[in-house]
Amino acid sequence: MLNTFLLSYSLKNTYRVNSILYALKQVPLLKRLLPDSLYSVRGLKIFANVLAALWEAATIFAGKLIYLFLMLFLPCISRTELDAAALALHILLPLTILGAFSNTYLFNPTRDKYYAVILMRMDARSYALSTYGYALGKYVVGMLGSLLLFGALLRLPLWLSLVFPFFAAGCKLLVVQISLWDYRRRGFVSNENKLGKFTWLLMALLLLASYLPPAFGLFLPLPVSCAVMAAGILAGLVSLRGLLTFREFRSMYQRLLPQAMNRSAASAQAVKARTEKYITEDGSFTSRREGFEFLNELFIRRHQKILWKSAKRIAGGALVLFALAAAGLAFFPGAKEPVNSLLLVYLPYFTFIMYAINRGTSFTQALFLNCDHSLLTYPFYKKPDMVLRLFRIRLREIMKINLLPAAVIGLGLPALLYLSGGTDNPLNYAVLLVSILSMSMFFSVHYLTIYYLLQPYNAGTELKSGTYRLVLMATYLVCYFLMMQRIPILLFGALCILFCVLYCVAACVLVYRLAPKTFRIRP
Amino acid sequence: MKFVIDHLRKGYGKKEVLRDASFTFESGKIYGLLGRNGAGKTTLFNCLNRDLVCDGGEFYFESNEGRRELQADDVGYVLSTPTVPEFLTGREFLKFFLDINRASIPSPEPLDAYFDEMSIAPEDRDKLMKDYSHGMKNKMQMLIQMIAQPNLFLLDEPLTSLDVVVAEEMKARLRSMREGRVTIFSTHLLDLAVDLCDEIVLLSHGTLELVEQSALDDEAFKEKILAALREDSHA
Repeated sequence: MLNTFLLSYSLKNTYRVNSILYALKQVPLLKRLLPDSLYSVRGLKIFANVLAALWEAATIFAGKLIYLFLMLFLPCISRTELDAAALALHILLPLTILGAFSNTYLFNPTRDKYYAVILMRMDARSYALSTYGYALGKYVVGMLGSLLLFGALLRLPLWLSLVFPFFAAGCKLLVVQISLWDYRRRGFVSNENKLGKFTWLLMALLLLASYLPPAFGLFLPLPVSCAVMAAGILAGLVSLRGLLTFREFRSMYQRLLPQAMNRSAASAQAVKARTEKYITEDGSFTSRREGFEFLNELFIRRHQKILWKSAKRIAGGALVLFALAAAGLAFFPGAKEPVNSLLLVYLPYFTFIMYAINRGTSFTQALFLNCDHSLLTYPFYKKPDMVLRLFRIRLREIMKINLLPAAVIGLGLPALLYLSGGTDNPLNYAVLLVSILSMSMFFSVHYLTIYYLLQPYNAGTELKSGTYRLVLMATYLVCYFLMMQRIPILLFGALCILFCVLYCVAACVLVYRLAPKTFRIRP
Repeated sequence: MKFVIDHLRKGYGKKEVLRDASFTFESGKIYGLLGRNGAGKTTLFNCLNRDLVCDGGEFYFESNEGRRELQADDVGYVLSTPTVPEFLTGREFLKFFLDINRASIPSPEPLDAYFDEMSIAPEDRDKLMKDYSHGMKNKMQMLIQMIAQPNLFLLDEPLTSLDVVVAEEMKARLRSMREGRVTIFSTHLLDLAVDLCDEIVLLSHGTLELVEQSALDDEAFKEKILAALREDSHA
């Protein structure tokens, strides 16, 4: 069994080391510096092994420290008037039972387990038992250390920190035992990543039980908690016997572990299939237009589920929100002044809202998967003037679609500003409207431009461009950053309008110069 | 008209996939492109279709009037998995294609005539292509290529997943289309290559070379091809 464990651990480590090297090879600048043969370079391998060892060591404590800090320390530190030990146990007991369901280790299908048990045909029982034993041991050590630290900070009795980790391990063993029993009884294979409705409900109740009663000053008396702990440890010992005598690991893992593989292997195909479902049949509809206008009209019409319908829904939702806000202002005149002063500096926040409601990413994704993926294999479609003609049509369409919700928000904000008491400078109304519209225009141009300039997909419909991902992430971060800013309407609005106009001009120039070369399927 | 590949080079990192590939293809013939796995057949096609930028060398058409660079619509590239815009019906796709290419196809036939020629059943013509079978999509793709009449026709394993009836139809179609263009057909099926193609070209060690059939019968010819492929031991 020790041998199996060492083998499986070195397999897992190889997998981890290669993942680290693979990740390094994806970083834009490093990509050029690293040799193609990086998986056989000794120095790099040692470096990645050191990282893997650090990672293994960090996982012993890091997760538990964060968990105990957020879930135990923060809630307890503010309630010093209560009995610390009883309160801590009241919070920890249900959370730990919850964790026993969501984190079994044994029923978590991962790739390294698949490789070991299915591909390399290691002995399933000794593999499962030895790796489980290691994981459980790691858990107890990590919990013990972390709990001793926070126990000292919260002045919990020492025995609690020493005994509790064994209760937690007992709970995990009990849940495993129940799942094994269920497998023997009706052949049901549990997967901790696909929990049933009943388990989710139970976990929600446990979470409530942890925090709701203490909020009202109610919690389990210490002797009751201690009895539960003792029962948990006993149950764990009994379950351990059951686990050691379980013989059907191979048949169980043959059904569980393949679930680790088809999750990501088929994902590009799954995305393609999902996008294909967005195509709606419209029976008798035909377009009277010709050429690209014909193509475009049919595309927009058959993708209304993700384009016009959702734009209309967003616009409708915004309208309702504005109406509610207006009604609120009428009923509670006291709210007018704070709302008014908020509105005057809150324009940057709307960058994020406009970012979030923009249909650009769904539009370009559907464009590629349902249209360009196939048409780009035909030579006529790649002729430079054809590429640009279609770009113009698409830009017009996506701007129209985004304009509807933008118009509602762009008119709604000045209306709210007026209703909440207005402003001395009437220019504020106009700038509000124009900057919302130009933000909408910016996002429309932005997504279509990066799609045409970077065309990130390959023939297998996988997203291949790291630059494209980086641009999307940067867009998100900038919008998120702007959300935090409070800048007067006139200043931010003027800058925003200027930026959007300049960006759109620059983007279109770039597309006209470069897109005929860049807009093709990645090899 | 001839299609000339002249000292074409392409590599990934340090690995050279195409090194000094040179060959002259004559129009009116179907060339079977054979090579071991990883020999670079798809890379060659991607270079010719300008989806990849070559590291060196060139390719062009040569005729009595001299050399001519390839234009985008000179090349027809058919991939092993057929690609058609799924949100259109077969009829709409054909109409769109004819609209766009009105300059080069001034007097098209009625749409149904094209479908008849390809034996696509009337009830399928107005269905969305997302509901087409693999073979139907393949027919649609071939129909478009037939009308487009590309000067260089590249096919990457196009018959592998078709049922036998459609595969036979496609073979007949390819034979009837070969006049006036260069057809290059990549496959791993030796029998198919010998049966369909006029010439066999090997891609090995990054170069292109013709396998002469001369006086050999088909069986002896296959042996010769196999022997040549076996030499390419790095694959």
